[in-house]
Amino acid sequence: MKKTITVLALLSGLAASLPVSAHHSFAAQYDINKPITLVGKVTKVEWTNPHARFYIDVTDDAGAIHNWNIELGSPNFLRRAGWSRNDLQPGDEVTVNGSLARSGADMANAASIILKDGKQVFGRNAADDF
Amino acid sequence: MKLMLSILLFIVSTTVLAQDAELSQPAPRLPDGTPDFAGLWSGGGPVGDIAGGLIPGEVMLLTEEYATVKANRMAADDPEANCLPTGVPRIAPYPWRILQTPAYGPATHLFFLFEGNVHSYRQIFMDGREHPPAEELDPTWYGHSIGWWEGDTLVIDTVGFNDRTWFDFLGNPHSTELHTIERYTRTDYNTLENVTTIIDPAAYRQPFTIRFEARLQPADWDLMEYVCNENNQDVEHIRGPARLF
Repeated sequence: MKKTITVLALLSGLAASLPVSAHHSFAAQYDINKPITLVGKVTKVEWTNPHARFYIDVTDDAGAIHNWNIELGSPNFLRRAGWSRNDLQPGDEVTVNGSLARSGADMANAASIILKDGKQVFGRNAADDF
Repeated sequence: MKLMLSILLFIVSTTVLAQDAELSQPAPRLPDGTPDFAGLWSGGGPVGDIAGGLIPGEVMLLTEEYATVKANRMAADDPEANCLPTGVPRIAPYPWRILQTPAYGPATHLFFLFEGNVHSYRQIFMDGREHPPAEELDPTWYGHSIGWWEGDTLVIDTVGFNDRTWFDFLGNPHSTELHTIERYTRTDYNTLENVTTIIDPAAYRQPFTIRFEARLQPADWDLMEYVCNENNQDVEHIRGPARLF
C-alpha cells in the first residue's frame, strides 16, 4: 500500500542529541534520520506505561485514511514535564513531529506535538544526562 | 571485616530536606554525624554504554566466549525492553530512593526503591551476615546483597546473579559468576557517587571499575507507580542488533 507522507525538516529547537528512551534503545525502534510530520485527528489516547501513546487518523494525498500509532514518554515523565493526561482528547486536531518506526508500521515517536489550541509540547524523554 | 558504624538514618519523606540547595552545599548528616542518603535520586549507573563510566586506566576485556555473546545480541531481546529488571549496576531513567529499616539505629535492611524500569526494589542485608554458600543461592536478577559502612561510604557486595540482565543498551554481558562491589558516597548535597567494581572471570579477563553519579531530584517530586508491562507494544517493532545509535 502506498503511503504518501509529508516529510518536513525537524523543528528548530529540538535537542541535537539522541533521546534516551525509558526502557529500550531509541535507535533500535526509530530512525532519527527519518523525520516525519503528521497532521491528523486523535482517535484514541492510551495513558499507560511504558509509553503513553495516542492514535491519529491521517489523510494521505489520495484521500485514504491511515491510523498512526504515536509514542510518547511514560505518563510519569510527561507529568513531570508539565503534561496533563487530558491534554490530548479524541477529536483533537494535532500536528506531530517525530521519527519513523523502523518496522514499517504506521508508527512514530513524537518529538513534539502542536495541540489543538496551538500550544507546542515535547513528547520524548530528554536526552540524558547520566 | 566489616565496620559497623552507628546510626544511619534514611528517612523516606519528601518534606524533610530543602532540596533546592545550591550545587556546592555539603552532604547532609544526621544529628549523630553519619551520612544521610535521603532524597529522590536519578541516574547513578550505566544506561547506554557501561564503558562511558570507566575510570581512567580501566578497561573492559571480554573473554572470547562472551565477546561472541555480545556480538550476537539483538535489541529486541534486551530484558529492559521486555520490562524485566535491569539488575546491577544498570539503571533506568526513573527516580529511586534509599530506605533503611529500622529508621533509627543500626540498620538490618536497606532497600533501593525503583520507580522503573520495573517497579521493584533491591534488598541489602545490613545485619552483618555473610553471603550463603553458592549451592544455597538461587540465581536472581538483583543478586544477594550485603552492605556495611566504611567511613562515609556505603559498601554493597553482591553475588548470586542470574545471567539474564544486560549492563546497557549495547548489550554488554555478564555471567552467573558476576560479583559486584558498589561504593556509594554523597559527595555533595545534590550528588550521590557510585563507584562499582565488576568481577566476572567467565565474561571479563580482569575486573574493571566504573563511576557514575546520581543526582538529587526536585523537592516536590515523589516516586510514582510504573507498571512497565501494562501496555508494552515496543518489542514487536524493535529491529536489529543491540545498539546505542
